[in-house]
Amino acid sequence: MDSEKQVLKTSSTYTPEAIAAIQERAELGRYIIRGYGALRNVPRFDDLVFLTTSLTRLPLEGYREKCTTKTFIGTRYAKRPMELEIPITIAGMSFGALSYNAKVALGRAATLLGTSTTTGDGGMLPAEREASSKLVYQCLPSRYGFNPTDLKKADAIEIVVGQGAKPGGGGLLLGQKVNKVVAGMRTLPEGVDQRSPCRHPDWIGPDDLRIKIEELREATDWEIPIYVKMGATRVKDDVKLAVKAGADAIVLDGMEGGTAATQSIFQEHTGIPTLPALVQAVEALQEIGVYGEVQLVISGGIRSGPDVAKALALGADAVSLGTATLIAMGCNKPVYIEDYHKLGTEPYHCHHCHTGMCPVGITTQDAELMQRLPIDEATTYVANYLQSLVMEVQSLARACGKSDVHNLEREDLVALTLEASAMAKLPLAGTDFIMGQ
Amino acid sequence: MHQTIPQQTLIDCANLTTREINQKLKALASENIPAVKLLNPAGRHNLAVGITQQIAIAIAGPVGYYCGGLSENINIEIFGDCGWSVGENLMSGTIAIYGNASANAAASAHGGKICIFGNAGPRAGISLKGATLIVTGNVGYGAAFMMQQGCIIVCGNAGANLADSIYDGTIFVGGDINSLGADAKLEPMNDTDWQLLEQELAALNISARDYNFKKVICAKQLYHFKAKDWANY
Ligand SMILES: Cc1cc2nc3c(=O)[nH]c(=O)nc-3n(C[C@H](O)[C@H](O)[C@H](O)COP(=O)(O)O)c2cc1C
Repeated sequence: MDSEKQVLKTSSTYTPEAIAAIQERAELGRYIIRGYGALRNVPRFDDLVFLTTSLTRLPLEGYREKCTTKTFIGTRYAKRPMELEIPITIAGMSFGALSYNAKVALGRAATLLGTSTTTGDGGMLPAEREASSKLVYQCLPSRYGFNPTDLKKADAIEIVVGQGAKPGGGGLLLGQKVNKVVAGMRTLPEGVDQRSPCRHPDWIGPDDLRIKIEELREATDWEIPIYVKMGATRVKDDVKLAVKAGADAIVLDGMEGGTAATQSIFQEHTGIPTLPALVQAVEALQEIGVYGEVQLVISGGIRSGPDVAKALALGADAVSLGTATLIAMGCNKPVYIEDYHKLGTEPYHCHHCHTGMCPVGITTQDAELMQRLPIDEATTYVANYLQSLVMEVQSLARACGKSDVHNLEREDLVALTLEASAMAKLPLAGTDFIMGQ
Repeated sequence: MHQTIPQQTLIDCANLTTREINQKLKALASENIPAVKLLNPAGRHNLAVGITQQIAIAIAGPVGYYCGGLSENINIEIFGDCGWSVGENLMSGTIAIYGNASANAAASAHGGKICIFGNAGPRAGISLKGATLIVTGNVGYGAAFMMQQGCIIVCGNAGANLADSIYDGTIFVGGDINSLGADAKLEPMNDTDWQLLEQELAALNISARDYNFKKVICAKQLYHFKAKDWANY
C-alpha cells in the first residue's frame, strides 16, 4: 500500500492533456479552436543530416566562392514568371488574422530580400501592395475582397484549395477580430464569428479547376503565374490533378503548417507531415514528366536554414514561411508577460492567435496591442531572420560542393530515424538500408 | 478580324481562340467602341472575362462557364443558355441571359445586376457579396448559400436549403420554397420590399404583384459560436 502511494501514476490514455481537453470541451460544448499548427511531434527535416564533402567531393570556400540563390516560380505558362532572389517566400496570412503593422512589415522585409509575400483570406491591403515588390494574390473559397482591379496589380495568383493546418476545413476569424475595417473588406457584418467556406463557390472538381484557371489567366492576360496551394493529404493524386488543371506551380502545406485559428482536431489529426508530403509531390511531378517545369513550393513548420536546405535537396524549388516569420517579429517573446497570463498562457507556449489578444501586437486588430509592433523594428527582425536562413542554406550548399543552392540533391542526405528513412526514402545514416524498400 | 458594320462590331468566335476573343473585346473597349456582337459562341468557356472598361456585348448563342466573370462596367446580353458561374465575381454592370443558367450563377458577385430570363441551377447566388440576381424562373437547391450581401429575386420556386448560412442580404421568392437552410428565416413583406420588387421587375416587364413574394433573411442565430447551437450544423 505505502509503495503505491509514493509513485504517482499517470494514465497513458487519460494523460493530463487528455483530461484537460475533455474538461475544456465539457465546459465549451463545442470543439476547441486555437491558432498555431500541430503541437504533436512528427517526423521532420531534423531527422535528416547532410553528407557534406570530404575526399569524394570538394567543398566551396565558405566566405569567398559564390553560391547563388536565384529562384524562378511559374515558368510554365506565364509571360512574367516570379523571379525571386532567394528560395524563401512568405506565406499567405490574412489581414484580419494579422495586424496592419505585421502585414506591412512582412511586405517590406520580403522586398528587402527580393522575395515575395502573399495576401490572405482578407483580400489585398493597399499598404501591403505598396510594401511588397512582389505580391502573390490569393484566390480563396471565401473570395473576401477579391476583385479584378487588385487581380491586375498582383504578381502571381495562388488558388487556395486547402491549408496544411486544416485540409478540408475552412478558415475562421472570431468576432473579436472582425472590426469595422476587416468586416468592410470582407463584406461581412461587424463582429460576427466568421466561418470561411472550405469549398470554392464557383467550381468543384479538377475539371472545373482547369476552366477556373483559364478564367484567371484571361483576366490577367496570361501575364502572371497561377499557383495552386493545397494541404498535404493524398499528395500524389492531388499534385497530378493540379498540374493537369494547368497550375504553373504547386504550393504544398504539410500538417505542421500554421493558422490563425482552426479546430485543434484538424491541426493534430489531419494531413501528413511536410517531409513525406514533399517527397510524394516530387515523385508525382516526376511521374508525369513535369518536374522542373511545374515548380514546387513547400511549407509547414519550416524554421531554419537546414530545414530550407533539406527541402531544396529533396526537390522543392522554394519554401514558404508563415509562423516562423511571426516568431521573428516577436511572437511568443517573453515580454508583456502579464498579458500572456491574461490569456491563460506563457511566452513560448502561446497559440492564442484566435483570441485577437496577441500580447505582442501581431495577430490582433486591437490598436493598442498593435502599437507594440513598430513596423520598422518588425521589418528589420524579419529581414534579418530571412537573411540568416539564406546564409545557412548557402553554408550547407557550399559544404556539399554546390555553387547554387538548387543543386542540393537527395544524394546529399541520409536519415537518422527509421520513420524518416521510410518517409524520405533515404538510407538510414551509415547503412544502405532504406526503410520500406 | 473584327469587321465594323453600322453601329455594331462583329466578332465571329468560330475561328478564334478564347484568348483572341477576349483580347479583341478588351481592345475594342479601350478604343471606346460602344457595342460588339459575338457570333458562334458555341458554348465556349470564359467568354468576356476580365473586361473592366465599359462596353456592351451581345452574344448570339449559348456560352460555357464563367461568361462575364471578373468584369466591371460591362453590359452583356446572352441569347442562349449559359454554363456554370455566369457573372462570377462581377463588380458592376449588367448581364442578361435569355435562356437558362447552370450552377452557381452570380457566384461571389460584388455588384451589378444579373438577370436570368429562365431557370437557374443549383447554388444560384452562392457567396453573393452585393450584386442583384434576378431569376424569372426557378432556382435549384442551395441558392444563396453563404450569401453575404445583395439581393436575390426569384419569381418562380426555390429548391431545398435556400439561404443556408447566409450572413446578410435579402432573398425574395415568388413561388414555393422547398426548404430553408440553417439560419435563414421568413420575414413579413413590407411596403419598401414591394416597392423594390415593383421597380426591379417593372424594368423587365414583369408585374411584381402577379406573384406571392416571400422574403427570406438571416436569422442571425449563428453569428456567434454558442454551446447549444450544434444541432443547427
Ligand atoms: C496567422 C496565420 C494566418 C494564416 N492565414 C492564411 C490565409 O489567409 N490563407 C492561407 O492560404 N493560409 C493562411 N495561413 C497558412 C500559411 O499560408 C501557411 O500555409 C503556413 O503558415 C505554413 O506553415 P508555417 O506556419 O509552419 O510556416 C495562415 C497562417 C498563419 C500562421
